[in-house]
Amino acid sequence: MTERYSGYDVMSKRNGPSWNDKTRQVVDDRLATPRGPRFFSETEYRTVESLADRIVPQPHRVDPIPVADLVDARLLAGGQDGFRHLGMPPPGEAWRRALAALDAEAQAAHGANFRHLSSPDRDGLLHCMHEGRLDHPAWQGMSSQLVFTQLVAKDIVFAYYAHPTAWSEIGWGGPASPRGYVRTGYDRRDPWEAAEVKDGDAAAAIRKNRRVR
Amino acid sequence: MRGRTAAIAVSGLFAAAVLGGLAARGRRRPPARRTRRDHAARQLDWGAATLAGSVLFDSAIEHYRGSFEHLGMYVPLAVASASMATSLSGGRCPGQLRTGTSVAAMLAGVAGLGFHVYDISKRTGGWSWQNLFYAAPVGAPGALSLAGLIGLAAQQLRSGDWPSDQQSGRALAALASAGILGDVAEVWLLHFRGAFHNPAMYLPVTVPPAASLALAGIAVGAGRPTLQTTRGWLWATAATGLAGVGFHAWGVHRMMGGWRNWSQNLLDGPPLPAPPSYTGLAIAGLASLRMMEDRHD
Amino acid sequence: MSDDPMQTPRATKGRAPDVFMPGGWVPMREYREDEKVDFVIVGTGAGGGTLACKLAEAGFSVVAMDAGPYWRPLEDFASDESHQSKLYWTDDRIVDGLNPLQLGSNNSGKSVGGSTVHFAMVSLRFRPEWFKSRSKLGYGFDWPLDWREMWAYYREVEDALAISGPVNYPWGPPRPRYPYRAHQLNAAALALAEGCEAMGIPWTETPIATLSAPRGRARPCVYRGFCVLGCSTNAKQSALVTWIPRAIAAGAEIRDLAMVGRVEVDRSDRATGVHYHRNGNWRFQRARNVVVAGYAIETPRLLLNSASDRFPEGLANSSGLVGKYITVQSNQAVWGTSDKEIRSYKSPPSLALTEHWNYEDEGKDFHGGYCYMSQGPEPQLWANTLLSGRGLWGDALVSEMQNYNHVVGLKMVGEMLPQERNAVTLADETDQYGLPIPCVTYSWCDNDRAMIDHALGFMGQALRATDARDIWEQTDDTCHLNGGARMGDDPRTSVVDADCRSWDIPNLWICDGSVFPTVGGVNPSLTIQAIACRTGDRIAAMARRGEL
Repeated sequence: MTERYSGYDVMSKRNGPSWNDKTRQVVDDRLATPRGPRFFSETEYRTVESLADRIVPQPHRVDPIPVADLVDARLLAGGQDGFRHLGMPPPGEAWRRALAALDAEAQAAHGANFRHLSSPDRDGLLHCMHEGRLDHPAWQGMSSQLVFTQLVAKDIVFAYYAHPTAWSEIGWGGPASPRGYVRTGYDRRDPWEAAEVKDGDAAAAIRKNRRVR
Repeated sequence: MRGRTAAIAVSGLFAAAVLGGLAARGRRRPPARRTRRDHAARQLDWGAATLAGSVLFDSAIEHYRGSFEHLGMYVPLAVASASMATSLSGGRCPGQLRTGTSVAAMLAGVAGLGFHVYDISKRTGGWSWQNLFYAAPVGAPGALSLAGLIGLAAQQLRSGDWPSDQQSGRALAALASAGILGDVAEVWLLHFRGAFHNPAMYLPVTVPPAASLALAGIAVGAGRPTLQTTRGWLWATAATGLAGVGFHAWGVHRMMGGWRNWSQNLLDGPPLPAPPSYTGLAIAGLASLRMMEDRHD
Repeated sequence: MSDDPMQTPRATKGRAPDVFMPGGWVPMREYREDEKVDFVIVGTGAGGGTLACKLAEAGFSVVAMDAGPYWRPLEDFASDESHQSKLYWTDDRIVDGLNPLQLGSNNSGKSVGGSTVHFAMVSLRFRPEWFKSRSKLGYGFDWPLDWREMWAYYREVEDALAISGPVNYPWGPPRPRYPYRAHQLNAAALALAEGCEAMGIPWTETPIATLSAPRGRARPCVYRGFCVLGCSTNAKQSALVTWIPRAIAAGAEIRDLAMVGRVEVDRSDRATGVHYHRNGNWRFQRARNVVVAGYAIETPRLLLNSASDRFPEGLANSSGLVGKYITVQSNQAVWGTSDKEIRSYKSPPSLALTEHWNYEDEGKDFHGGYCYMSQGPEPQLWANTLLSGRGLWGDALVSEMQNYNHVVGLKMVGEMLPQERNAVTLADETDQYGLPIPCVTYSWCDNDRAMIDHALGFMGQALRATDARDIWEQTDDTCHLNGGARMGDDPRTSVVDADCRSWDIPNLWICDGSVFPTVGGVNPSLTIQAIACRTGDRIAAMARRGEL
């Protein structure tokens, strides 16, 4: 499959007028996120990787988005959403419980830890979790559905779409200050936005996307 | 792709226009005794060239903003360039070429008017303030027609086909008066869109209307004292047009990112090439006064 | 010393950050803590920031405190969703009830300027009848305010924020022309307009608090679309760049990173000042009057946390209504995919709206009204909407995200009915300051559900009338926070009077969205600011008559 925004790299705008210093600093810091577990334990970290692999599966990339590292970094920094459901512990603690519970569920259903399951088996468990049908005591009273939509899957999705590679993938214009946008109507594109492959003409899109600054 | 093509086309046309005009000037014969009509015609040339130049750059920017979505959007660039070139070359330009470009400019203006009206009418919201503000400007193509008309007038003056100086002067005054009024309407609309946020924005909707009114007085046969006043208002209008470029340059600087963010602010900020249209029309108005002056050559 | 505005207060040493210049400062008057200032205001958002300005300009000595940092948007704001979550109130809070609220990014700000630093700038007036919805429309509660008086204060706020709006507004009694012209509609807004025209109802450009032309030292909008993540150009007319600079120029002091934990009341039942946490210490500021303006969760929380021997149920709570009748607004949406490129990440998200169902009562099987607007989610928010609202994850999510530039949506802001059971209470747990954290309980009622059904049905039809396909409904979302200390005519059934003065403690005032008895079907910020302007004028008038 050709990519929808072939040749578009949002990072090509980094030194242009669409990025201010603060944005450059923030995104540079994110791209420099240390690899490996810091908040999680080694095994927890591997489980997060195996979760991210199912929740935001990536095409083969030379430099894949380090979803687990980004989740780890956020929890390490004590990131909170500003609310939690009655009976839910703060995010870090909830994450640890959830990872343990997933292993417990995986052991009960398949006799192996979550990260060692096949992709279909992991998907199967995650479907049950999403529908709130997991109720092993290891959840310690947390609703598996809430943990899925408001914590685990959410944090993973946020981490993935915090990364410029994902921004390029969906053809988003990316950071925009001081320069914003001029052409905003139907089917209108500024020369500094991603061009979509139209009528199978990838070459035309690539040509335009190469000129994005 | 189109952006770059357009940029190349515009710069090419502009270079051709300026070089053509200057080359024609260079070939100027030693001046014979020039008549008042010659002077007035020359002045009309300058007026038409200024107006065409304003249209050229303004439509280049606005149509670039519109991504040159169809080929018709290149037309005003080509026609305005030709009109500017023939106007700059003045009497040196072969008569038929001059007539041809002038008529083309008039027609292109009318066609543009039609396209812009059509564009607004088919948009969601139709004839709403939103579309008057942000869709293709209704009145703008009129400036191209005016440049053509003024060019034609210059040629008529030279050819001597026109009746008395007085009558030609009054006709020219009427043309310039109406032209300025049209321009005022456009400026008012766009400055209203900008909420007249800077008091200077009232200048181009107060000074030129006065000039237009005075010119209208001339056209209907007001006397000599009015001539002086009118000349004053016209000079003020011409100056407003030039000062406008300065104000608009300041306006671009006032946008987020200022001139460093030119790729946005030249398009979203106040249009740099628009205000000199007043200057062009005022020069044409001054030419009409010249025709009515009492002194003899 | 750290230059991190989240760690070290900036408004100190007689100066405050100049929001219009990177690294800039403006002189600021400071008051000693043992000096009895006329007013100490808790919170600097739409309520507190506005009132600080009005009171300072009326000549009162004012100290306004905010728990959040003091930003200079030009240098502090990145174009980045994750990073800008620094604008939100993310302190620990518990949600509960049949329909627990989502807080944080959704509705709670922690900055000087409060939630207006990240609000969507939609600036709508109430429908006049809503101020008397019980008597005139048969539901909810009457406000002790007259709409004609509010109409004048709306105007004051619209001028102060240079609202960009349509030349003619299609609904309600005549209003003066908005100070600035409407912005150019983006594709998302055009889709809303198309849908309305197909349904035969009026639509208009949204009156919005972002500049369509330069103003003072603020630059006009560049249509970057990060509005709800903080405006890095100052086009957004938040309290941070409008009321607060005016307040400082008029002699008010702003204290950033100052978390107020308790209002002190003396034996004669008068407030004497506030205990607040700043620079690692608990401190006390004396004051003749205390204004609580922390929005609908922090305001009741502070009043409850200030309970004393004489007021064991919390301050201003003789009616028992502090924290009760919290009312949010329904915020459901329909989404679809257009063949055209929409790219709704460009421009402010809600450039067009219809208030048809706020003003039309025929054909409704529910009380109240709603408006709906065009939408422009940035990628993280959109991905999360697909996850939480549509249940997508895995390949389904990643491939649906490929349609991001073609997504078009309509979202309602609907009037939920006030219910006593929807409440802020104190939990057993404590936060980083050692203060009991709030627990927010929320459940929808049948009327809420009926309105949501109506809106989803109508918006779905409107969206289908455009070229959008794959249309789906996002059924579980709310926005805004109001109520919790409502105003009224009767001390038994309200917390404050029409002047936002508490019935129980004459020098304790409440000035924010928590005084709303009902919420109407429009975003509340303009009304909060209008009430603050009125309160400022009323206080000045009372002071002149010696009634303070």
